[in-house]
Amino acid sequence: MKKLFLIGLKDLKLIFRDPAALVLMLAAPFALTLGLGFVTGQFGGSGSGIGNIPVVIVNQDSGQLGAALVEMFQSEQLSDLVTATQLDDPTEAFQQVDDDLVAAAILVPAGFTDSVLPPAGQSAPGRTIQLQVYANPTRPTSVGVIKTILEEFVNRLEVARVGGTVAITQLIESGLVPPQEAAALAVELGQQQADSLAESNAITLTSNVASEAAVNFNPLAYIAPGMALMFLMYTASNAGRTLLLERDHGTLPRLLISPTASAQVLGGKIFGVYLSGVAQMLILIIASTLLFQLQWGDPLGVLALVLAAVFGATGWGMVITALAKRPGQVAAVGSVIMLTFGILGGSFINLEVMPVWVQFASKITPNAWGLDGFSTLALGGGLNLLGRPILALIVMGLALFAVALVFFNRRGMAMK
Amino acid sequence: MKKILAITFRDLRVRFASFVEWLFFLILPIVFTLVLSGGTGAPADNRVRLVVVDQANTSLSTELITALENSESVRPDLLSLDDAEYQFDSRRVSAMLIIPQGFAREALESGTLTLELRQQPNSLNALVAQRSVQAVISRVGQAVAIARNSLAEAEALRPFETDAARQTYFDDALESAQTLLAEAPDRLTETQGDTPDQIEYDPRANSSAGQLITWVFIPLIGLSELFAYERQKGTLRRILTTPTRKGTYLFGTIFGQVLIALGQMTLLVLFGILVMNLNWGQDVFGLAIMLVAGALAAAALGTMLGTFVKTTGQANGLSIMLGMVMALMGGCWYPLELFPEAVRSMVKVLPTTWAMQGLLDLVLRGQPWTAILPEAGVLLGFAAVFFVIGILRFKYE
Amino acid sequence: MPTILEVKDLVKKYGDFTAVKGISFNIQEGEIFSLLGPNGAGKTTTISVLSTLYAATSGDATIAGHSVSKDPMAVRKVIGVVPQEIALYEDLTARENLNFWGQMYSLSGKALKDRVEEILEQIGLTDKARDKVKTYSGGMKRRVNIGVGLLHKPSLLFMDEPTVGIDPQSRRAILDSVKDLNRQGMTVLYTTHYMEEAAELSNRVGIIDHGELIALGTQKELTRQVGEMETLVLHVDEMQDVQRLAKAVEALEMVRHAEVSDHSVTAIVPEAEEALAPAVTKANELGIKIRSVDIREPNLEAVFLHLTGRALRD
Repeated sequence: MKKLFLIGLKDLKLIFRDPAALVLMLAAPFALTLGLGFVTGQFGGSGSGIGNIPVVIVNQDSGQLGAALVEMFQSEQLSDLVTATQLDDPTEAFQQVDDDLVAAAILVPAGFTDSVLPPAGQSAPGRTIQLQVYANPTRPTSVGVIKTILEEFVNRLEVARVGGTVAITQLIESGLVPPQEAAALAVELGQQQADSLAESNAITLTSNVASEAAVNFNPLAYIAPGMALMFLMYTASNAGRTLLLERDHGTLPRLLISPTASAQVLGGKIFGVYLSGVAQMLILIIASTLLFQLQWGDPLGVLALVLAAVFGATGWGMVITALAKRPGQVAAVGSVIMLTFGILGGSFINLEVMPVWVQFASKITPNAWGLDGFSTLALGGGLNLLGRPILALIVMGLALFAVALVFFNRRGMAMK
Repeated sequence: MKKILAITFRDLRVRFASFVEWLFFLILPIVFTLVLSGGTGAPADNRVRLVVVDQANTSLSTELITALENSESVRPDLLSLDDAEYQFDSRRVSAMLIIPQGFAREALESGTLTLELRQQPNSLNALVAQRSVQAVISRVGQAVAIARNSLAEAEALRPFETDAARQTYFDDALESAQTLLAEAPDRLTETQGDTPDQIEYDPRANSSAGQLITWVFIPLIGLSELFAYERQKGTLRRILTTPTRKGTYLFGTIFGQVLIALGQMTLLVLFGILVMNLNWGQDVFGLAIMLVAGALAAAALGTMLGTFVKTTGQANGLSIMLGMVMALMGGCWYPLELFPEAVRSMVKVLPTTWAMQGLLDLVLRGQPWTAILPEAGVLLGFAAVFFVIGILRFKYE
Repeated sequence: MPTILEVKDLVKKYGDFTAVKGISFNIQEGEIFSLLGPNGAGKTTTISVLSTLYAATSGDATIAGHSVSKDPMAVRKVIGVVPQEIALYEDLTARENLNFWGQMYSLSGKALKDRVEEILEQIGLTDKARDKVKTYSGGMKRRVNIGVGLLHKPSLLFMDEPTVGIDPQSRRAILDSVKDLNRQGMTVLYTTHYMEEAAELSNRVGIIDHGELIALGTQKELTRQVGEMETLVLHVDEMQDVQRLAKAVEALEMVRHAEVSDHSVTAIVPEAEEALAPAVTKANELGIKIRSVDIREPNLEAVFLHLTGRALRD
């Protein structure tokens, strides 16, 4: 048992002296966490990455609604979210979208107000005139925000119009107001209600984002473990490379002719990978806690999860090792598995938005289970909620070790 | 020229000697493109599951649930409070809606009602659920609010004689409000920038272009590994003792890798066109310019890197890391709009940013080849700078 | 002197290929025994089986009374092995390597620490003990490689071609250290394809070729096998037809055997000086220019040539 530990410690020392390995073990997850942190606006100052969306408005409407729309976009409330400029020429505005200068161009065509609220003296609105959004296809999220704002605007118009119409119609029908006064009253009511109705909804929704930690959930708490888990797969597959390298360099035969059982040697190698993986995860966790003020959650839970996740990943590393023939091959296969597991396991995008088959396939990756557990922890959950992911990771590790053992037995370790 | 070809063919043979190379070459990019663009084929029910706890059991709550069922984005799933809370706490569902006791139409006429929605943090699905619930309740609620307002207007002029008359007045108002709201015309229309009408805008083009760049850049930056390998084995030294110029050698190596990359890009573009029905083919000339310029820039970067790294292990690690970071920061994974302003201008120093912009101009905006000349120019500039640094620093030991 | 190693009918096959074809020999305590043979003769395979790395296909060997096949663990404790390649962790320092390998031989605590310092002293690397092995010269690496094999004070040391590919100075140092070790009582099994090394070091030599032990004995006993023969070597210039010269020389009455290697003809003769004049005459007749001439006393090279009809080198 003691020799097993000694071999493991030796491997740990060796991997931390290999600059090439350190690049992928520690530098890469950090760099990518940083990059993704930018995407989610973690380092941008403002809370969200989206801000100051450039938009250009062409108002050809002479009525009040066009002006109201411009005013809304230039209001104090939206000043953080949108930077709106006005232009007269639609062609020029569209050109700005094509040149990727703005996220969208909004065209308020002439007669828009009249099409919503019929002018005095005219009973029914004429042809519907639509607001036009000319969207920049390379900025789908910004365009989505702009559209939401416009939809809200249109919704308020609609509520005001319908509110006014219903009130007037009923007042006239019940004889409370003479028809000749209706038109003037309608405009007045409409304007009154536009503000009050849309805001004082009859049913309100209180949204609770889960548990205490939720109030300012840090997306990095999802990104950082995702990246750490992805590059953990590199460390795991690297084990296979070191075993083959030891064989080629003659240190493996030398170990096997020292009074050390081959089970101890293999066990030691596995233990070495395991230790390296745990060390890598802990370094990343501690560093991101210090540098990004990232809260990983219950320390006991984090530790238990790290131990289980590395176990699962080591299982994969062993299978790769058992099957591989040349060190270079292991490195390449390792990279492929690392990246595939990374994307399947949700290290890049939230698994929830992925198709069902991806969610299903993700179950074979330690990444998905690990990430599941880390998210639970970041939300304030404790060890008690980690049963499923930890159990899954341990079962995965055991199953993979069994598979690897079968292959090792077939091939024999010292084989050249 | 003969020498360049000889170096090129040798590289081709060395590169495709192993099956693993094909994984990087084609299989991974395709898998990534498919996964990131949300898969192909129509999934059975793509709606987000929303756990609903109905504690009210009134006609209004039933109406709300029916409205949710008709929604295009959520699929309500009625559960008891305990079951719902268990599922939510173990993160198996992204949002749960609680309809409290007393959620009834009568209560709505006099006051406001409150629904509780619990969401998982940082979950797109939870956001989708929130929007859908909001939309549904505002439809249910707005009509009530309008009717209440109408009633108030009438009462302000003259109080009702009986409660029954008052109720009738309210019911009428509610009905006509619902009708009018339902009949409201669509007042918003959206056009996607400069895409010719016959081509539909497809957000998957984003991931197709982004993954193409990522997976062409990673192996091309990995060119540095080839240099490190040859240096370790001493073959580089040997080649340079033959009457072969540094430039010829470097160019031959780059030429071979760029050829491979062009083949790879062609296959990926064909995949985009044939399987994903993307608009890659709209300006073949422009596409060719962009692909060549992008590949040259990446290959020159790999060459330059090859003069810095010492071992193949380092080169391998660096090329994967640099490739991924540059792809991420260049907007190949997520649109650049998501980045803060400062970062967005900073990433202009990356070739991936320009490559992505050029490809999007072609495939998403449907612009002609003249529009991508600036991007192609910048990429060729990158290529020239990296190549010159590479030659200057080039050493064989 | 008691026998420490006893090899009996040892056979090792790799699939259809038989690398070792049933060899038997003994090694006495305190002697240096050399296995001499060309590359691919089966030396490394033999050592690998004896050091318990590979199982023998048939036959067995006992070391200090323990069977190699039945009790490999006991065998491993008494043997030390210096493999042909530098089997060290290049990213660890010399001291770290020695520490690690010492632990693999179950040394620990102060005993380990003292022994490591002792070995460092012995291989003359105390000053450089804190440098990573990868920064060492080839000769220094060889010394550490040997040091690791000595850590647990084995009673029998296997050295598998420890001088391959190093400079003459380092080679000299290694040969001297082998002799030193032997003087201190270490029994050594030494494999080499350098005739001079076997001649200089060993008490007894086994000549191995194509997996068979073709001769065994002290150097004297072996050379006697070829009789009191001497070796005459004629070096010729490049571009000369050595083959024709060899044929002509072999045709001479007093020449027992002649062999071509590189740009020379090696002839086995009872009296080299006697054969010299006729051989040179033959060369002149053929128009082949002789650059220089060597005359060698009876040696192992001659034995090998005599037994196999081939030169030892290559």
